[in-house]
Amino acid sequence: MLRPAPYETTLKPYGTALVELARQRDDIVCLGGDLTRQTETDLFRDEIPDRFFNAGMAEANLIGMAAGLARSGLKPFVNTFGVFVTRRPYDQVAMSVAYPNLPVRLVGFMPGLSSPGGPSHQAIDDVALMRALPNMTVIDVADAGEVSAVVEQIVDLDGPVYLRLKRGETPVIFDESYTLNLKRATVVKPGGDVVVVASGMMLAPAVKATEVAADAGVDVGLVYAPVIKPLDAATILDAVAGSKGVITAENHSVIGGLGSAVAEAMAEAGLGVKLRRVGVQDVFATAGSRPYLFKEFGLSARALVEAIWELAQAKMPLPVFAEVSEERPGVHEPV
Amino acid sequence: MSSPRIAYLSDVPTRARLNGVEMVGRLGLGYLGQVFSAAEILTAIMGRYVRTGQDRFVLSPSHYVTAMYAVAVELGQLDRQTLNSYGADGSALETIGSERTPVVDFTCGSLAQGLSVGIGYALANRLAGRGARTVVFGSDGEMEEGQTWEAAMFAAHHGLQHLTLVLDCNDSQVDGPVSFVTTIEPLVDKWRAFGWHAIEVDGHDLGELTDALDQAVDQPKVIVARTTATAGLDALEGVDDAHFIKVDGELGDSLSAELERRL
Repeated sequence: MLRPAPYETTLKPYGTALVELARQRDDIVCLGGDLTRQTETDLFRDEIPDRFFNAGMAEANLIGMAAGLARSGLKPFVNTFGVFVTRRPYDQVAMSVAYPNLPVRLVGFMPGLSSPGGPSHQAIDDVALMRALPNMTVIDVADAGEVSAVVEQIVDLDGPVYLRLKRGETPVIFDESYTLNLKRATVVKPGGDVVVVASGMMLAPAVKATEVAADAGVDVGLVYAPVIKPLDAATILDAVAGSKGVITAENHSVIGGLGSAVAEAMAEAGLGVKLRRVGVQDVFATAGSRPYLFKEFGLSARALVEAIWELAQAKMPLPVFAEVSEERPGVHEPV
Repeated sequence: MSSPRIAYLSDVPTRARLNGVEMVGRLGLGYLGQVFSAAEILTAIMGRYVRTGQDRFVLSPSHYVTAMYAVAVELGQLDRQTLNSYGADGSALETIGSERTPVVDFTCGSLAQGLSVGIGYALANRLAGRGARTVVFGSDGEMEEGQTWEAAMFAAHHGLQHLTLVLDCNDSQVDGPVSFVTTIEPLVDKWRAFGWHAIEVDGHDLGELTDALDQAVDQPKVIVARTTATAGLDALEGVDDAHFIKVDGELGDSLSAELERRL
């Protein structure tokens, strides 16, 4: 299922998939807000200009227009940065899109601390905001192959969708045996004294942490949950029942995202298993490179291993392993 | 108003106001000033301009939904029995428009979101090669929201000539007259500067409204309709705030009597 790290990367998997689908279906329209190349939709603009609309820096109007297009029977894909498609036009998303349950696909790039731009550009609350809205589906994928698959899978989904996507080089983490299933979380590694539940860009560090732990003699299970809402609680509960502890891993605030969703599911099931939420610890971050930010703000394999050791009550010393300090073109390495 | 082509509509605004008095009177309070200011505007839009099944009608300030119901029943677009359920618990006719609201094509309520949705309809029509009309009813208070001007810029840039915005300028918002809260004027100049074809009319004159709606233009069009929330009714003389009117039995009776005399 998993390829070995470091992972090869691809460019523009989303933009390519959207154009391919739109060539077959004339109900797909593409909207954006002055971030065309950054959201890989320069491909769409150049190939299918009639169905490409640039709203400029005017996100409130952008969302409302998407709503009108959707109510006219079209399938609008709205592409901008995560902060600008959720935090900025929240009332418009709630009232013009979510409440009427319209098939608008909100695609937010640069999730969490993957933006070097500091708090104004770092979507650390987008999942929480979108998850709180009735009717909304929330997806945080990890892998380039999934990005291609998800476009096809969400186009005919009922109601609105929020999809967060890494900007730029996207890693190829899974091999051909993996298929994205929006209804089911994937048990990447069954069993474990401790189980990690990861989404989006935290899948790669979660894989690394489980491998490091296994090498040191600690058995760690891994569940990958790209769909935060509706959460596949059944698969997650089944995987974590009987373990000593659960660790959620998300490139997002620990409030309101995957960690909260898993906590709710575990508490409602009366599981009584300890939980640690690895993610942004209720702080605004700073500007910086991805490796720096992920390390500094605890979105790292190191942070996961520390949580694993705590919950597994492991007696052996914390393993020493190399951490990535800078990014290389064409290669994605978990921090 | 005297034009024979709209003579059949001439009683609709007054009858709609009578409906409004009865509806709001039953609840004791409500958005009656909006019924009074917008009765002619909504009659012109719904009675003649919007072709059912073809054109789109967005009621951006959903607080006007009472006015819309009151007009719709006179135009046969809503049955009177349904109207009688207005504002009752469980009724689809809520006091602020919702997804359950009949006749209109979009839910608003959180103000100034309707024009953007109208642009979406107009773009979809253009993509499909349809010349259908999109009419957005808006209010002067909504000019305070930034989204209005985001939408204004986009619509003009894209030359959406089948998009029409009709503004009920009744100078009334929650805290008092719009002109007291902030300065939105000069509205006509503002819309022209944003690239729209702007027409100013007496919003209580069906003939002027109809003529303005019928003008064919090659830009998006805005009709700045000047109205009052008291509609010249003696019974409301001295009422400072007609935005949300309390209607007790006595006021209801005098309003009804005065409106009956106008028929």
